[in-house]
Amino acid sequence: MNKPYRLPLLTVEHLTMRFGGLVAVSDLSFIAHRGEITAIIGPNGAGKTTLFNCLTGFYRPTVGRLSYTPDDRRTFYLERMEGFRTAKEAGVARTFQNIRLFSGMSVLENLIVAQHNTLMRASCFSLAGLFKLSRYSRAEREAVDLACYWLDKVGLTAQADWSAGNLPYGSQRRLEIARAMCTRPGLLCLDEPAAGLNPRESLELNELLLDIRREHKIGLLLIEHDMSVVMQISDHVVVLDHGAKIAEGDPACVRADPAVIHAYLGTPDDEDLPEDLHPQAAAAAPKEGSQC
Amino acid sequence: MASARPLPLFAGIIKDSFLAGLIAALLAMPLLGLRLVDSVQGLSLDTRFNWVLIAGIVVFLGRLCLALAGVFLGQRKERRGVAPRTASRTAKQNSWRVVMGWVLILGALILPMLPFAERNLIDKATLLLIYVMLGWGLNIVVGLAGLLDLGYVAFYAMGAYSYALLSQAFDLSFWACLPVAGLLAAWLGMSLGFPVLRLRGDYLAIVTLGFGEIIRVVLLNWADVTGGPNGLTGIQRPSFFGLPFSASNAKGTTFHEFFGLDFSPDHRVVFLYYVILVLALLTNLFVLRIRRLPIGRAWEALREDETACRSLGINPTTTKLSAFSLGAMFAGFAGSFFATRQGFISPESFTFMESAIIVAIVVLGGMGSQVGTVLAAFLLVGLPEWFRDLQQFRMLAFGGAMVLIMLWRPRGLLSNREPTIRLHKNASPDDATEGESAS
Repeated sequence: MNKPYRLPLLTVEHLTMRFGGLVAVSDLSFIAHRGEITAIIGPNGAGKTTLFNCLTGFYRPTVGRLSYTPDDRRTFYLERMEGFRTAKEAGVARTFQNIRLFSGMSVLENLIVAQHNTLMRASCFSLAGLFKLSRYSRAEREAVDLACYWLDKVGLTAQADWSAGNLPYGSQRRLEIARAMCTRPGLLCLDEPAAGLNPRESLELNELLLDIRREHKIGLLLIEHDMSVVMQISDHVVVLDHGAKIAEGDPACVRADPAVIHAYLGTPDDEDLPEDLHPQAAAAAPKEGSQC
Repeated sequence: MASARPLPLFAGIIKDSFLAGLIAALLAMPLLGLRLVDSVQGLSLDTRFNWVLIAGIVVFLGRLCLALAGVFLGQRKERRGVAPRTASRTAKQNSWRVVMGWVLILGALILPMLPFAERNLIDKATLLLIYVMLGWGLNIVVGLAGLLDLGYVAFYAMGAYSYALLSQAFDLSFWACLPVAGLLAAWLGMSLGFPVLRLRGDYLAIVTLGFGEIIRVVLLNWADVTGGPNGLTGIQRPSFFGLPFSASNAKGTTFHEFFGLDFSPDHRVVFLYYVILVLALLTNLFVLRIRRLPIGRAWEALREDETACRSLGINPTTTKLSAFSLGAMFAGFAGSFFATRQGFISPESFTFMESAIIVAIVVLGGMGSQVGTVLAAFLLVGLPEWFRDLQQFRMLAFGGAMVLIMLWRPRGLLSNREPTIRLHKNASPDDATEGESAS
């Protein structure tokens, strides 16, 4: 099913994360491609956020390789990189399940802080700015332009000078995505971006994510519980349960997968089980991970 | 509201005021009512119940006035309609703050030329400015980066001892030692920063507190170098571009001879005042400017959320260390100024009380507010200096003022934060002036 033009962006191989005796992610392998939206779904406690924390350098995986290839020349091994370096050097940006904005700072400042490394380079670690050299003011103007572009995208231009904590919930979610995009990432990891949104906001979010994929050609990795979002926008779905992959494929295929239905809805009593949903099929699944 | 049911409201107010007065009287009983008298026969207890009565009545009346003022002001506000805190209102407030800043700077500049400015006043103003500068320096660490540092006085001591020892050992002038002292303090800040990088909040406060004490104890016990409890004396006083402020100079001309003035010890006092004013204003300029730069914004972001910072590729290690060392550097400058002003330093001057006062100045002024720091320094350092006669009530007033301010302004005197950059200029027309004068 791998078409020739699908280039791998992130290759996860045998990723295992243990916390003492608890295995949060066990032997997980999948590939996310460039310019695609890959959704990671699974019941609560399936290890989705742990996977994100491994990817973005917050955890160091116990076992496994995370190779990230933003273009044909460079490959980063994310499992070796320190927390902030994955964002700074590799260009992996993320959002958080519980929104983490700089709530005391203004909306615009949130987006400028996201361009910290670009601005630091432009200002020679702030020295050029201290002496008011023109190269810093030029760099800052460019940073504001990029911020304005994303403010426009997420529809927050009018609220640019508000303090971020005063925004309504849905806008905070969108601002967090805009902030992550201001780091000019190659891979954007979104941890439940639709949580707490109403259906209309959720539709707007779909549009925003599709737009990011279309115009910026970056890969998106999406953890989501809202199936309307997952089914409508994702190109590829990976289903986790208890830290292991139980299914993978395109959305329609995953929806019909018996192992997925088992994981989400549980198995009915054996006697009234239809033929194709027999426990053996479900039991075999966690080991291999069914492929469509 | 009051006119609809006036009686219960006023009865309530009077009851409330009476209770407040009663509590005040009860509190005043041991504080004011009883007094130990040391006489020939030994200690005896003296009573002053009229003081207790006065305290109770004062609190009763004060509470009554406050409540009545609240009722009338509330009525007036209702009539006008309660205005929400809009952007233009905060902008107006900020422009008012900028005007006040300029007035303070101008006032400070012309202070020594005013007719009532005697030596005593200038001396006190110099001391006040040292604390203002320390407050501004600590503002980088506490106000911007959000790292609670209770051992700031260690860097102040480092600056003072660096200058004293360098000038004595190598016969260097104040101006040559000033940058060196700053750099040494910054280095000390960095070396403290490294081990405590992972700590936050209370834990960081405890470690820095211990660090401040360690430095003091080292100064106290390393007698060969620091002179121990005797301190260092005969520290070189500053000169005006090589012209000393002394009555006569064996090696060359003195300041008053060069300018053809009569000798007056006030020259040095005024000169020192201007030196600390310039140093403090430079600190202020630096802090105001760095707030608008990437590193300053990263400090504030780090204060808000460290995890989010890491996810955006901001290196928390270097960011925290830069805040620590820059804050320490300004303490070092202030310390070497302190040494040259006093001419004598000892570990006595660098106790935990100093750290506590500086932190109180920053917190009271409103975290990150520059003008607020000046006001708080005036309240905490200036007023106690001026009211030395009332020394026995000093700590009482100090505590009372702290409680009042924390009730009235829990986030500091001037606490609302102005964004470092704005997109919509037209939303608040006052911003243009704010941008110019603040930088």
